[in-house]
Amino acid sequence: MHLPRSPLAALALFVLLAAGLAGCGLGAGERDTNARVLVTRDFGTRELGARIVQDAPSSETVLRLLERNFDVETRYGGGFVQSIEGVSGGREDGDPVDWFFFVNGVESEVGAGEVDVHEGDRVWWDHRNWGASGHVPAVVGSYPEPFAHGAEGKRYPLVLECADDVEQACDTVSERLGTLGAIPARRALGTGVGDRTLRVVVGTWGDLREDQTLELIDRGPAQSGVYARFGEAGRLLELLGDDGKPMRALGAGAGLVAATRFEDGAPTWTVTGTDAAGVEAAARALTERRLQRRYAVALDGPRAIGLPVVR
Amino acid sequence: MIRRGWRNPRDVWRRATLRGCVVLGPPPSAAVPRNSAAIAASLRPRGRVGADPPIRQTRARVAPAPPPRRSASPLHAARAAVGCALCAALALPALLLDQPLLLAAVAAAAVLMGVAAGAGRQLLRALAFALPFALLIALLNPFVTQTGVTVIARLGELPLVGRTDVTLEALVYGAVLGLRALALILCCALYAAVVDADEVLRLFRRVSFRSALTAALATRMVPVLQRDGRRMADAQRCRPGPPPSRIALVSAVAAGALDRAVDVAAALEVRGYASARRPPRGARAPWSRHDRAFAVAALALLALGIGARLAGAASFGAYPDLHGDWGAETWALAAAIVLLPLAPFLDRRGIEPRGAAAQHAAWGHR
Repeated sequence: MHLPRSPLAALALFVLLAAGLAGCGLGAGERDTNARVLVTRDFGTRELGARIVQDAPSSETVLRLLERNFDVETRYGGGFVQSIEGVSGGREDGDPVDWFFFVNGVESEVGAGEVDVHEGDRVWWDHRNWGASGHVPAVVGSYPEPFAHGAEGKRYPLVLECADDVEQACDTVSERLGTLGAIPARRALGTGVGDRTLRVVVGTWGDLREDQTLELIDRGPAQSGVYARFGEAGRLLELLGDDGKPMRALGAGAGLVAATRFEDGAPTWTVTGTDAAGVEAAARALTERRLQRRYAVALDGPRAIGLPVVR
Repeated sequence: MIRRGWRNPRDVWRRATLRGCVVLGPPPSAAVPRNSAAIAASLRPRGRVGADPPIRQTRARVAPAPPPRRSASPLHAARAAVGCALCAALALPALLLDQPLLLAAVAAAAVLMGVAAGAGRQLLRALAFALPFALLIALLNPFVTQTGVTVIARLGELPLVGRTDVTLEALVYGAVLGLRALALILCCALYAAVVDADEVLRLFRRVSFRSALTAALATRMVPVLQRDGRRMADAQRCRPGPPPSRIALVSAVAAGALDRAVDVAAALEVRGYASARRPPRGARAPWSRHDRAFAVAALALLALGIGARLAGAASFGAYPDLHGDWGAETWALAAAIVLLPLAPFLDRRGIEPRGAAAQHAAWGHR
């Protein structure tokens, strides 16, 4: 075998080898990715557009998918989305507003230009007031994601943790997840799992409040991204507005379906309530129709209320 | 006949002697170029010949750069202000518009104007310098921006820049940026080739005398430093052993430049430039037909550029996907950008034939 003698030729050979190893190639890649894009404003209360994309190239990023389907303006070298369909970031009524995106209900840690789109992904862009919470780590509005396709093209390992006194609600949740092809491993509350495992925790808030991840909800939306918190030892559910202030309170029979995340781990979903009836109502709300385009959902009996409560 | 840009040499000699200077050699009988450095080099303080080391040193070391060659063309016959305005007006569409056809039209117009003004070689030299530069911009852009929806190559994760997908849109926009740089460089080259820098500085003399003087000295010193550098490089090559580094050469030239600056400052102080006052307003020369023709062309170009921008005509965008206006309106604009500044060249009344101009130029340089 002849090795190149000149340093330039050696460098060129090295670059070619590195490129081959890094999965480089010409063209946009195979067109075999199906995905959905949803564009809303004000925490999903107003839909600006939705597209089902078929046969997107494998090199597709979240930003390209958006640019291909909507009128987009970017800033800072194309890495920051400033405006979609003429709705711009900035300030509205003195509050800061901007565009945020979730892939399969999980907020991205990196820019839209660096997130690949995988088969079955649901990308949700929302223009919202971030005065009360600049960081909403996970939302329920992309259901059945992240249970159906997970993240980065891989399903999460799934664990269902249930309190003792909510067997019926736990069965309901297990059945709903089973229809998605996600068979959860059932465990008792407080069983330790890895941080890459998607957890669904079912129980009254009084039983769940000690959970390391779920206790973020009691600290408010700035910590958890959930615009609701429990009071009176879990017997009262306060619904917060988009400014983070309490708008109304629910008592007995109130339920909550919400998702949050501890640091950069997998999301943790909670199906909870002020009592067993509330938990049961929340478990029954685990449907695409009830959860779609919502950050979190509060249940006042059979009635679902999207959170935050937008003024 | 005293042509524009030339001054009666006897007048120069008389003024110099009145200002207390002695002029080396007999009173000139022929026209000399109106060039501040050439005039300054011929002036020395009366009674101090050989007695003032700084000045003598300055004279010995700061050899003036040759004045710009002047061809016989309508553009050269126009006043400097008009020449400046025309070059600026030609560059304006390149700054305001993104349409590649119009950018190419600006570049073509600059080259054709240079050829028509007898400065084609200078423009081609500038083109040879600018082309690799433009190519570099075009090739670099896809690596610094990932915007665009048509991926043509996936380079994976690269060190420092991260994930790199080359998009067609970024490549095209890089080419547009390169074309814009090319057009602007050619406009600047045209300005340098056809507009008398001394006359431009005279325009600003009443506004800021010292700034104009500083600019005049700086423009004259650059070629001197280039020559110094070449000589030092020659001397380096004559030395035995391994050749010294380029950094040593650059530092020697830089030190020489500072040395020269001190000498020139001393010479200027001795000649009383520090107490100079604002020069009186001179008599305004009437506008020639060439002045008027090029001024109209400049105004038309200005209106065309600003109007097209405001009206959104000849639009072009590269992101997120390529889109642009390539209709008759765009082609008409491009044609206007090329033809408008060339039209005044058709009127050559009062312009000497090229052979005579070359003779004058050679004689003037002697």
